[in-house]
Amino acid sequence: MGGERLKIILSLTPPLLIIFTLFFGGIFYGFLQSLGYQPAIGKYEINFSAYYNVMFSERYAKLFWTGLGLNLWVSFASTFLAAVFALFGALAIRKTFFAKTICNFIYSLNLPMPHLVVAVGIIFVFSQSGLLARLASQIGLIGSPGDFPVLVKDKYGLGIILAYIWKEAAFFFIILMSVLQSLGENFEELAQSLGANRWQRFRYVILPLVMPNLFSASIIVFAFSFGAYEVPALLGVIYPQMLPVMAFEFFLNPDLNARSEGMALSIIIAIIVMILVVFYFWLTQAKIRKD
Amino acid sequence: MSKLNIKNLIKSFPSMDRPAVNNVNLDIESGELVAFLGPSGCGKTTILKMITGLFQPDSGDIILDEQSLLKIPTEKRGVVMVFQNYLLFPYMNVNENVGFALKMKGVDKNIIDQKVKEMLELVKLPDIGLRKPKQLSGGQQQRVALARALISNPRILLLDEPLSNLDAHLRDEMRDLIVTIQQKLKVTTIFVTHDQEEAVLLADKIALIFDGELQNFTSPKNYYEKPKNIKAAKFFGGVNFINAKKDNHNLSTNIGTVHYKGENYTDLNEDNIITIRPENIKLSKNNDFNDNSFKGLIKSVIFSGTHTRYKIIVNDLELECSLQSVGLQDIKTDDTIYVHLPSDKIWAMNE
Repeated sequence: MGGERLKIILSLTPPLLIIFTLFFGGIFYGFLQSLGYQPAIGKYEINFSAYYNVMFSERYAKLFWTGLGLNLWVSFASTFLAAVFALFGALAIRKTFFAKTICNFIYSLNLPMPHLVVAVGIIFVFSQSGLLARLASQIGLIGSPGDFPVLVKDKYGLGIILAYIWKEAAFFFIILMSVLQSLGENFEELAQSLGANRWQRFRYVILPLVMPNLFSASIIVFAFSFGAYEVPALLGVIYPQMLPVMAFEFFLNPDLNARSEGMALSIIIAIIVMILVVFYFWLTQAKIRKD
Repeated sequence: MSKLNIKNLIKSFPSMDRPAVNNVNLDIESGELVAFLGPSGCGKTTILKMITGLFQPDSGDIILDEQSLLKIPTEKRGVVMVFQNYLLFPYMNVNENVGFALKMKGVDKNIIDQKVKEMLELVKLPDIGLRKPKQLSGGQQQRVALARALISNPRILLLDEPLSNLDAHLRDEMRDLIVTIQQKLKVTTIFVTHDQEEAVLLADKIALIFDGELQNFTSPKNYYEKPKNIKAAKFFGGVNFINAKKDNHNLSTNIGTVHYKGENYTDLNEDNIITIRPENIKLSKNNDFNDNSFKGLIKSVIFSGTHTRYKIIVNDLELECSLQSVGLQDIKTDDTIYVHLPSDKIWAMNE
C-alpha cells in the first residue's frame, strides 16, 4: 500500500512541480512586484502604493474607475446577451427540422475559432469601412459608409460586446443543447397538459431547468471576458480603456516603475474574478444545502 | 364526467414501416376506468398523446362530449396526463408542484393553497407539502403526481404506466388508491399498461392493442371467458386451442365432437377455433363425466405451490390443465386420464 502511494506521489511530482512553479510562482512574483518589490531596479520596499496609485491617484483614478465600469458593463452585457441568443437558438433548433444540422454547424463553428479572428471579423463586418456599412450605403440606407453607426472602437465597447456575443454564444449553445437534449420534452409536455401556455412553459419549466447550467456557464464566460486582453485591445478605444488593456500598457511602459501599477491592476482583476468564483460556489453550495 | 369517442384514428411515424396507430375506434363512457393494454411499442402511449394533443393524428377524430378535440390546443383540452416517471418539477416543493395547474390558470394563491391541501389529503400525504421531490419515495412521488393532475378537475385523466416504476407492495397500495380516487371523483380515466394483471385488477374495460390495431375492447371477465381471437386469448394466458368445424349445433374436432353452448354459434365461421382455460378443464381417472369427455395420456405433472399443472395428450393434441393445490392423487406421467371440457366453459372464435 505504502509503496503504491509513493509511486503515485513520485509520478505526480514532476508535473505538479512545473505547475506550481509556473503558476503559483508567477502569481507570487507578480504579487511581489505589485507591492513594489523590484530588485532589478533596486526597489526592495514592500507597500501598497501601486494599488493606491491605480485606484485613487489623480493621474490614474479616473482611468481605473471608468475602465472598471466599462469592464463590468462589457462583461455583463456580453454574457447576458450571448446566453439569451444561445438559449433561444437552442430552443428553436432542438426539435428536428430540415436546417437543424446547418444551424448546429454554424453555432458550433465559432467554438474552435480564436478570439483574435472573431475580433478581426467584427472589424470587417461592423466597422464604418466594413461590409455592412458598404452594403447599407450601396442600397441607399445611408449616404456614405461613414454615416454607419460607430459599432467598433466605440466608447461603449459595443464592438467588444459583439465579438464576445459572437464567440461565447457558441459556448452557451453547446452546453444548452446538451442540457435540453438530456431533459427531453416530457416536462414541457406535462406542463402543457396541466394548462401551461408557451410563455408559461418557458418561464416556469424550461428556464428553471436550464438555469443551473446557464448560470455556471455565465460565470465562466463573465470571468473570461472580464480578464481577457486581445479583443478589447483590438476593438476598444484609448479612453475609456478596459482594465486588462490598461494593465498591459503599464507593463509595456519603458519606465519600469510603472510595472508595479500594471501588476497591481492585474491582481485587482484576478481578485474580482476570484470573488465572482467564490460567490458562485457559495451560491451553488447554498442551493445544495437548501435542497 | 366526460364521454370520449375515438373514431378511425390513424397515426404514422416516418421511422416505422407500419402505422403506429391503425384505424382505432373506441367509445369510452363517462366515469369509466379504461386500460390500454398491449406489449411495448404497440401504440398505447401514442393514442394517449393524441388524446392530450401532444401528437396530431394523420386522420380520424377524437371527440370529447360531442366536441372534436383536434382543433383545441393541449393546454385547453382539460385532458391531463400523468407520465410514467412522475416528472415532478425538481426545483419546486410538493405544494408548488401540486398547485402548478391552478397557478397557470391564474387562480388566487389562497384558493390554490386550500386546494393543494385537499389534494394532498386525498392522496393521503397531508404533511409533505414543503419537501422537494428528491426527498420523496417513488410511491410518494407517484401520489404527488396524481394530486397535481387531479387538482384542476380534468375532464379526462390519462395515466401512462402508473404502477410500472413501483415495487410490488407499493403497487398494490397505489392500485387501491387509484381505484378509490377514481370512484370518488368519477373522472373518466384511461391508463396504459403492458401488465395484464394490472389491467384486470383496475379497469372497467380493457382495450387490447397489438401493432397499432385494437384487438378487442371489453370487460376483463370477457377476455378470460369469451376472447375475440387467439391473440387476445393468448395475452390473457390462454394455452388450449383446438381447430373445430361447425357440426349441427356442435363443434367437430380431431379429439371428437364437442357440445357447445356459446351464444355466438351463429356468428362462427365454418372453420373456427375452440379455447378453454386450463383451470376450467376437469380430470378424472375413471370416466365420471357425461359429455365432452376425452381419453388422454399424462405427459407431465408440475406442482407450483398453489396449483398443479398437467400436460395431457388427447389424440395428438396437447391440452394443459391446472388443478388447485396438489391436484389428483396418484397421477403420474404416462397414466391414462379422462379430460372433461365443460360445455359452458368452452368458447369458440373465428380466428
